[in-house]
Amino acid sequence: MIKIAQLSCGTEYSSVQYEIEKAARSVGAKVVYPDVSAADINAAVERFGFRPRSPQLKLMIARAIQLADGLYDADAVFITTCFRCAEGALVRNELRRFIQENTRLPVVTYSFTERLKASQLLTRMEALVTIVSRKELLAREKQSGITVGLDSGSSTTKAVVMVDNEIVGKDWTPSGDVIQSATYVLENALAEAGIKLSEVEAMGTTGYGRYSLGKHFKAKLVQEELTVNSKGAVWLADRQHGEATIIDIGGMDNKAITVRDGVPDNFTMGGICAGASGRFLEMTSKRLKIEVTELGELADRGDWRNAKMNSYCSVFGIQDLVTSLGDGKSFEDVAAAACHSVAEQVYEQQLQEIDVRHPIIQVGGTSLISGLVTAVGEVLGEKPIVPPNSQYIGAVGGALLSSGFM
Amino acid sequence: MSEDRETRLLMISPGSELTPDQLARMVHSMSPSVTVKETCYGCLVEGPREVVREARDRIREMYPNEVFSKVRAYPAGDPRRCRAQHGTRPGFAQLESEWEFLSKVQHGLECVERGEGPVQMEKEEKLPVDRFKKICEANR
Amino acid sequence: MKVFIDPPNSLVLFDLVERFGHEPLSSMAAIQERIDKLEIDMPPMNVTIDDVIKGLKYAGIEVPSGVRGRLALWGPLIDEAEAAIIMDDAPFAFGCVGCERTQSMVKYLLKRRGIPVLHVEYPDTDDEAKNFVIQAKEFLEGLK
Repeated sequence: MIKIAQLSCGTEYSSVQYEIEKAARSVGAKVVYPDVSAADINAAVERFGFRPRSPQLKLMIARAIQLADGLYDADAVFITTCFRCAEGALVRNELRRFIQENTRLPVVTYSFTERLKASQLLTRMEALVTIVSRKELLAREKQSGITVGLDSGSSTTKAVVMVDNEIVGKDWTPSGDVIQSATYVLENALAEAGIKLSEVEAMGTTGYGRYSLGKHFKAKLVQEELTVNSKGAVWLADRQHGEATIIDIGGMDNKAITVRDGVPDNFTMGGICAGASGRFLEMTSKRLKIEVTELGELADRGDWRNAKMNSYCSVFGIQDLVTSLGDGKSFEDVAAAACHSVAEQVYEQQLQEIDVRHPIIQVGGTSLISGLVTAVGEVLGEKPIVPPNSQYIGAVGGALLSSGFM
Repeated sequence: MSEDRETRLLMISPGSELTPDQLARMVHSMSPSVTVKETCYGCLVEGPREVVREARDRIREMYPNEVFSKVRAYPAGDPRRCRAQHGTRPGFAQLESEWEFLSKVQHGLECVERGEGPVQMEKEEKLPVDRFKKICEANR
Repeated sequence: MKVFIDPPNSLVLFDLVERFGHEPLSSMAAIQERIDKLEIDMPPMNVTIDDVIKGLKYAGIEVPSGVRGRLALWGPLIDEAEAAIIMDDAPFAFGCVGCERTQSMVKYLLKRRGIPVLHVEYPDTDDEAKNFVIQAKEFLEGLK
C-alpha cells in the first residue's frame, strides 16, 4: 500500500477530507499523517523559521520535518490548504520547497474549496502512485518493438505508432466520442506507418478517456497524463537526463511539471479556474473569425501592450477583447494580447507553485501557436524549447512506456 | 451509537501519584456497566451519559484536584480517529500540551481549597520611548 | 448556565466549567452531534458541504472554506451561550482550533453577543495559575 503523507489545514472543516481519502483509495494509496508530539511542534517551527499564527499550520511544519528527517515513512506527499487563505498558501508553498530540498519524495500541492470532489484529485493522486510504484518503467528511455500510444484529451485525440524508437505514424482529430475519435486517429496513424493493428505488440492510453480506451483496446498501459506526458516531452526534446520544466497548456487545464531524469517530482495541474487554458485561445480565434492555427502567426505580428487584457476569467477576458476590438485595436494586437494573457496566467497560477527548472519545454497542442510560445518566453524571460511533434507528447509517452510491458 | 452515549477522557495531573492503571480499575469497579480503556494519561470511559457522569463525580470526590475530565466526540476506538489508522490526529497534540499544564491547575485548585486569595501581579509596561531613547544615546 | 469555552476543545476549561456547576459548550459536543448521525457519512467529522454553506451566516464567500466550516460548528454554540471563558494566548491550540482567523472571529462573535465573558491569560507561573483558577471560580460562581 502506497502511503501518501497529508500535510494540510482545513480539510476536515471544508467537507473535503473524505474526498481526498477516496481519491487516494481509488488509486491504491492510503492517506497518513506523520506522527508528531506537542514538544516537536515548537522546535519544528523554530527550525523552519516561518512562524504562522495558525496552530494547524505549525503542525503541518512539524509533520514536514518528520518526513525530511526520515523519522516517518511515507512514499509521497500531498500538501493542501484552503483556497483564499494567504497564510496557508505561504506555508503550503514553502513546505513544498522544503520537502523537495530535503527528500526525494514526489510532492503535489493543492488549494481546495468546499466543492472539491475526489475526481478532481484522481489524476494527481494517480500520478503520485505511478511515480512511486512504477519507478523502473518511468526510467525507460527507449521505445522498442511496435507500439501505439493513444491520448484522449479534452480538446483533441491523438495517436502515435512507434517502431524501434522512431515515430512511424501519427494523427490527431478534435475529440468527439472517445472510442470513435481514437479509432479514427489510430487507423490513420497505422495506415501512415503501413502496420496492421494485429501487428501492434503493446498499446498505452492516457488523457481523460484513458480508462475507456484502455478497456476497449485492451491496452497494456493505462496511465494518467502527468507522468506519460513528461516522458513523451523529454523523449521528444531529447532531454532525458537532468532537470527540466514541462509546460503543457491544455484545452481544459494547464500542467506545469518539474522533472528529474524524465520523472516528475512536482507538478501542478489546473486549479480553481480554467480561464487561462487553451480554450480561451479557441474562443479568441472564434471571435476574430480565424482558425486557431492562424492565431499564433497573427499574434507574432502584433504587440500585446496595445490591447491589454487583464483578466483571470475567460468570460471577462473575452469582454476585454470585445472592448479592444470596439476601440479599433488591430487583430494582430488583440491576438498577441490573448496569448500574453494566457502566458501571464500560467505564470501566476501554475508556476508559482513549482520551482522552475531549466530548460523549459513547452508542449501540447497549444505549443504550435507560435504567439503563445513567444508570450511564455517573454513572461519567463527564457525561450521555451518546443520539440517536434510537441502536440503528441501523450501519445508518444504512451507508446514509449507501453513497450516496457512487452 | 445513541445520542445518550458519552465518551469521557479522565486525565491525571502530572503532579499526582495516581497511575492510569489504578484510575481505570477504580472506575471499572464503581461502574461495571461502562467501558474503561486505560491511556497514557488516564483513561477513557464510555457508556450511558448518566452512568459516566456518576463515575466522574465519584472520582472527583476522591481526587478533587488531581483528575480532570472532558467529553470526547468520538467513541473509543473509532476508526475515524484511531491513531493506528492514519497516525496522530491534531487533537492529540492539544491533549499532550494540556496534560503538561494540569499540574499548574492542580496547584491553583489546592490554593483555592485552602482559601488563599489572589496574588498581586505587577504587569510590566513597555519601556517608554524617551527612556529607550536615553538608553540608546548612552550606549552609542 | 451554558458557558462557551475558548479554545472550544480545551480540557482545562471544560473541566473548570463543569466543576463549578455549569454546562460547557464545547467543540466535542458539536462534533459528537454530527458523527453520531448515521445517515450522513462524510468522515471523519461529518462536516458536510451544507455545513460549510451554513457558515456563510458568519462569514462571506471570500473567506476560506475551513473558516466557514469551523464557524458552522461553533456559531450555533455561540448563539446559544449565556456566558463564555476565553483563554488568551493558550500555547495549545491544535485540532479543531487550528485556524487563527476562525479564533479571532469566535472571540469577536462572543463580544457581539454581549454575554458575560471572562478573559484569562494562560499562566506561566504557579502564582499566575492560582490567580487563573480563582478568577475562573469567581466568574463561574457569580453566574446566575
